[in-house]
Amino acid sequence: MTTAKTRWLNPLLAALLVAGVQTAALGYMIESRASILRSGRDVLLKTVPVDPRDLLRGDYVILSYDISRLRPELFKGDTPKQSEEAKVYVRLERQLDGFWAATEASFAPLSPAGDSVVLRSLPFTYYPSSALSSVNVEYGIERFYVPEGEGRTLEEARNAEALSVNIRVDAKGKAQIREIAVNGSPVYEEPLY
Amino acid sequence: MYRARLERDFKHWMDKGLLQENAARAMLAEYDGRESTFRAGRVLLILAAFLLSASILLLVAANWEALPRLARVAGIVALVWGFHFAAAWLTQTGRTTLAAAALVLGVAAFGGGIALIGQMYHLSGDAADAALLWFAGAVLSALAFRSAAMTAVAGGLAWFYFGTVLQDNGFGATPDWRVWSVPALAVIVVLLVRFTAADRARHLAYLLVLSWLAWLYLDNASLAFAGGLAAFGLVAFLAATLPGSPLRALAVDAGSAPAFYSFALALLGFTALQFEAVGVTTEVATGAGTLLVALLGIALAGAQNGAVRYLGYVAFAGELLYLAFETLGSMLGTSGFFLISGLVVAGIAWLVIRIEGHLANARGTEAPR
Repeated sequence: MTTAKTRWLNPLLAALLVAGVQTAALGYMIESRASILRSGRDVLLKTVPVDPRDLLRGDYVILSYDISRLRPELFKGDTPKQSEEAKVYVRLERQLDGFWAATEASFAPLSPAGDSVVLRSLPFTYYPSSALSSVNVEYGIERFYVPEGEGRTLEEARNAEALSVNIRVDAKGKAQIREIAVNGSPVYEEPLY
Repeated sequence: MYRARLERDFKHWMDKGLLQENAARAMLAEYDGRESTFRAGRVLLILAAFLLSASILLLVAANWEALPRLARVAGIVALVWGFHFAAAWLTQTGRTTLAAAALVLGVAAFGGGIALIGQMYHLSGDAADAALLWFAGAVLSALAFRSAAMTAVAGGLAWFYFGTVLQDNGFGATPDWRVWSVPALAVIVVLLVRFTAADRARHLAYLLVLSWLAWLYLDNASLAFAGGLAAFGLVAFLAATLPGSPLRALAVDAGSAPAFYSFALALLGFTALQFEAVGVTTEVATGAGTLLVALLGIALAGAQNGAVRYLGYVAFAGELLYLAFETLGSMLGTSGFFLISGLVVAGIAWLVIRIEGHLANARGTEAPR
């Protein structure tokens, strides 16, 4: 099978195509985040302590929120009858203390209403259980990479429940981290690029 | 290496007067001139490319704080462009090995870029998605440059993807499309192998499918699945090797792979069946089935196909030892364990020697010169 293979594309064109498409893919990764930060709505979230076994994972801090665990009474509408890949839509509303909390959750898309913001979870495998139980979800805002050695401070603040995270949510319900604050004063502010 | 063995054999035949010296020299020259021939320099170059690409990835991993973000992105993008245009220039000037090395570096820079951007912008998506994107980049490069080296890299990245899927989700929790994406990647690699004439890289794809099937079985272990694997493997193997089978000519034409991998699949199925078997009678029955399949493989394809033969020997020996320990081992204790092992291995050695001798004789009579 070692027949002489003929070139079908001029090498320069091939280089242009490959480097161009790869650059576009990288650019898309950056821009899809930047567009959420640019035009999304501000939401302030409270973090919760994380199981100490998961404390340090490489060079990023794991963030967990009170909206990461959805109580069964929040759910409206149908829940999947068999285990399948699912997404959860969560309605967030601003509370008196300035933090946002989940007021409604659903496996079907929720329409925006009033001053609320709808956040969409990442896809996960849902297992129906006979008893009502909380659903743990992720939103793609659970990781924050920090320079080496700075993770410890954030983790201590997180576990002392002094950490708050400001996110922006776009119309599709996707979120990105905009700012992290300890005791209300900003520590990390994320530029667009 | 084959080259050294060839030279040694030629020397041996020349000493016996079976081969003319100029003929031998011409044959060696022809062999050395082939495109795919092993060359130390070529292999070292590709190795150097891998080492350099590892350094790119490590540089990214080391949280490179000194530069502002956009400068880092610009740097990695410049690497992507630089390596691909270097590859284009090297291809045009006929230095194909260096070009292949530049392509490997280019796709490594792309992978580094994915990791870098994920880290800098706190993107906590799936690691498997990132691996899939990286694989896509390698596939595009293999296609555009029609590069066998990049096909091998794509095959390796398909494995990397399989690894991240397992790590991300573990057993059971993997969504359906993700499960089926693994063989889809293997198919893409096989198509690339055909397109770029990267013959050896196809084994990466075949082995990926076999491992995937083993994983599927472990994930939903059932008698039906195990039986299905065994039956499908056996049918495929018979179709590829049984004299008179319409597919045999096609399979023989494709080399030793069809027979070997279908045989391996059949054995995988029988191993799974063994796993399902409960009680001594069924254990022994499936064990006997496995032994028969191993012998069948040796008998049908062993003569032309060394890989099938050795896999057959290994399966036969493993199964026999397993059966011996299951049925007799518990009664005899540790010393009996070694006694049985010794006897079984001796028996197999006798069998292997007989078969190999028989095959050698058969080959001798086939080519009477």
